[in-house]
Amino acid sequence: MQPGHFPANILFILIFVAANGFFVFTAYKLYRILRLGKPEDRFDRRSERLKSVVTFVLGQRRVIREPAGWGHFFIFWGFVIISIGSLETFGVGIYHGFAYWKFLGKGLTSLLYLLQDLFCAAVVVALCVALYRRFVVKPERLRYEDQKAVNQDACIIIGLILLLIVLLFGARAAEYLLAQGEAGRYFPRLAFVSVAFSSLFTGLTKEGLQAWYSFCWWGHTVVILGFLIYIPFSKHLHLLGAIPNVFFRRLSSVGELSKMDLEDETAETYGVSRIEEFSWKQLLDLYACTECGRCSDNCPATLTGKPLSPKLTIHHLKEHLQAKGKMVLAQQGAEEAATANPEGELARALIGDICQHDELWSCTTCGNCIENCPVFIEHIDKYVDMRRYLVLMESNFSPEVQNVMRNWETNSNPWGLGFATRGDWAKGLPVKTLAEDSQVEYLYYVGCAGSFDERAKKISSALVTLLNEAGVSFGILGAEEKCCGETARRLGNEYLFQSMATELVEIINSYGVKKIITACPHGYNCLKNEYPQFGANWEVYHHSEFLATLLKGGQLQPQQGMDKNLVFHDSCYLGRYNDLYEEPRTVLNSILGLKFSEMDRSRNKAFCCGAGGGRMWMEETLGDQKINDARTGQALQLEPDIIGVSCPFCTTMFEDGLKTFDMDEKVKVYDIAEILAQAVTSAKE
Amino acid sequence: MNIVVLVKQVPDTETKIKIGADGKSIDTSEVKWIINPYDEYAVEAALRLQDSVGASVTILSMGPERTVESIRTALAMGADTGVLVDDQATEGSDALGKAKVLAAALKSLEFDLVFCGHRAVDDDENQVGIMVAELAGIPHLGLAISVEVADGKVTIQRPIEGAKVTMEATLPALVTFGGAHAVWNPRYASLPGIMKAKKKPLETKMLADLGLSAADVGNEAVKVSVTSMELPSERQAGRVLEGDTAEKARELTRLLREEAKVI
Repeated sequence: MQPGHFPANILFILIFVAANGFFVFTAYKLYRILRLGKPEDRFDRRSERLKSVVTFVLGQRRVIREPAGWGHFFIFWGFVIISIGSLETFGVGIYHGFAYWKFLGKGLTSLLYLLQDLFCAAVVVALCVALYRRFVVKPERLRYEDQKAVNQDACIIIGLILLLIVLLFGARAAEYLLAQGEAGRYFPRLAFVSVAFSSLFTGLTKEGLQAWYSFCWWGHTVVILGFLIYIPFSKHLHLLGAIPNVFFRRLSSVGELSKMDLEDETAETYGVSRIEEFSWKQLLDLYACTECGRCSDNCPATLTGKPLSPKLTIHHLKEHLQAKGKMVLAQQGAEEAATANPEGELARALIGDICQHDELWSCTTCGNCIENCPVFIEHIDKYVDMRRYLVLMESNFSPEVQNVMRNWETNSNPWGLGFATRGDWAKGLPVKTLAEDSQVEYLYYVGCAGSFDERAKKISSALVTLLNEAGVSFGILGAEEKCCGETARRLGNEYLFQSMATELVEIINSYGVKKIITACPHGYNCLKNEYPQFGANWEVYHHSEFLATLLKGGQLQPQQGMDKNLVFHDSCYLGRYNDLYEEPRTVLNSILGLKFSEMDRSRNKAFCCGAGGGRMWMEETLGDQKINDARTGQALQLEPDIIGVSCPFCTTMFEDGLKTFDMDEKVKVYDIAEILAQAVTSAKE
Repeated sequence: MNIVVLVKQVPDTETKIKIGADGKSIDTSEVKWIINPYDEYAVEAALRLQDSVGASVTILSMGPERTVESIRTALAMGADTGVLVDDQATEGSDALGKAKVLAAALKSLEFDLVFCGHRAVDDDENQVGIMVAELAGIPHLGLAISVEVADGKVTIQRPIEGAKVTMEATLPALVTFGGAHAVWNPRYASLPGIMKAKKKPLETKMLADLGLSAADVGNEAVKVSVTSMELPSERQAGRVLEGDTAEKARELTRLLREEAKVI
């Protein structure tokens, strides 16, 4: 059956069409399952989206952040380059005389063949490394509860790729020998790996070579087509899902949440309690996942033994989506089917069977999973959407969460302290309320912690000192201020959040405010990135960026040095959510003598303090360590005198952590504003 | 079965209380209003019976227009209908006056059970529930921490020093509720609950609708009146004693003797 000769070419065409047809059929089914999801607009800013694909797919930017990723880099590009070669192979299958060199010329073809040889060799090395990692190194993140099935899947894929490369080399080696001394045939000597392989075939007759060539060619082709059929059923579905997922990624702040339509009187349910209630993009995330585990490697909940692993969440959702999706497509009236077969996939509850309650509530929304995902899977809004269902539909949450929600409702702060005392922290300080003087340039939005928490009040007053020192024209809302609702939103109470947001926007706009400064990263992210959904149009600055600007402009001049060792902790909502990594460091670097060290997990890999996503207000009873203790332990390894923070909640979490280690006397936690205020003012005293 | 829950709107417990200009009432200008927590336990108890035996729950309250918000909150939790007696003439009523209004309003309602908190956290009088029972001529069970209804009887448990008693009464009856937040854990309204509450029937009545006149209640009819109110003196800041243990002990003894004059 010489490839490309009658009747082999007919057979090839039949197999080729059948395999592709089957692939298109399964892919179309996956597409239809995706379409079960709710609509979501991800078609804006297309040039930016294309740029993402270039950077993160072609450039593999996030994959190669770590050494193991280079293996993937070569497999990916090897795949692309082998695919170019495959087109020639398929061409030969139709007509034996087909060859690239006839179109491209011998020079270009030589280069292409060389490249193919090199990448094929690199892929083989990468695959061996992959096998070594999976079966010898066994990193934690490759662990699954259905380990056997996952390993089997990986072996099939790796085995198929190895096989197709070996067969490719076999075919090319035979082809090289056949091309010698046959007019009208050409094989570039530059493809030295293939040429080297040909030594295996020395001494064979032309017929023998031809038989080997045919065998390898058919083998290679069948493996490729088999691979094509297998992809949609394996975790290598990511070959289909990843590229569109990068294209359709969220371009705004990480972990941004959708605005729910609460006015819709026809809505029967809120939040997500069934997989098809996610948007199509949220479902596409599941196809894009190849279960590499970078998310869980960086998840503060996973790393402290909580019943949450973002990798497993996605894995479980994917399995459920595929099983349930097919059944939903196959039969109308899914509800009846669920009743008829209470053991079946349709009867499994998204919340409770597929995802556990503790799993949803363990998320701190820190964004480390999303930040580290090479294909931009968005985990956070899935957890929050399910929380939304539990909160809005079932009022199903822990008593401490209920308590904090009531506190927001009655007094617009999580502590439930009297709303009328909100401005009391500023008594005796040189700061006016907007009611007293609205002709100021900036509103200092203090937030709940800065207004009510004894520790955070000190940060507020330090910031007031600095703003006055720099001659900034600013005022506060005082007792008129309200909670921004950020935490209520992340706890899933979109209704409460929206009513709070509407109220606060109205108050702030009533004073014609244009620019806002805040010392709370949560309020900052909320006011800056989420309030535009509610009619806000302000410039919002976190005090770290504002102070950095004042320092650069010379309005603030730290006089007093500080001979201390400091470890800086990045707040999630400042760093990953808003890309402010340098600004707080600029503030700290302005202080003479302050010795600065960085934890391994810093900047975009910074480990959460444990307070985000409403976890601040929940008991932390699960796992083998508290998240704040874990983070404090990481900081203490560097033996600091000071842990520098830029968030009132991080302040609380570290101070509690230091008590756990009995280090609260030796190590102090300070906000950057406090440190700077001391440096700016202490010389004057 | 019909349950009427008497609900009073009171200042939030975290409100910073200011005494009004007359020196015997509070300044309500900066007050956030909530459902009296004990009444909220009563609402929760009624809703549990609504779930278990299918009771219909009516919220009955008296007060100015702002009271509607508290009734809507209870409706959002799951109560079926609301009735508000909103009449200027009821202002300044003492406990008996309020009980007369509520008892009169009860006459127009069908009920097997009347639930309310054993006291309201604003004036802490512990009287209205009992008086309503008396005026309505029905038995009263006080300070319930659990409630069950079966065979025309209501059974409650009430904590007593170091033990619990179980008591029962034949219907109709009035039960006042005690316990604490952790005992009742009143439910948090769901969003559909809040949406539905906006459309649930809420009737507003005047004294005349109840067959009462202004002379029966309000300032004119008070038998008990507040003569003055004062805030507790502000707490002094705490002091931390310095020195070693012996010094601290010596200083503490001196202070307790000389300044606090307790030893």
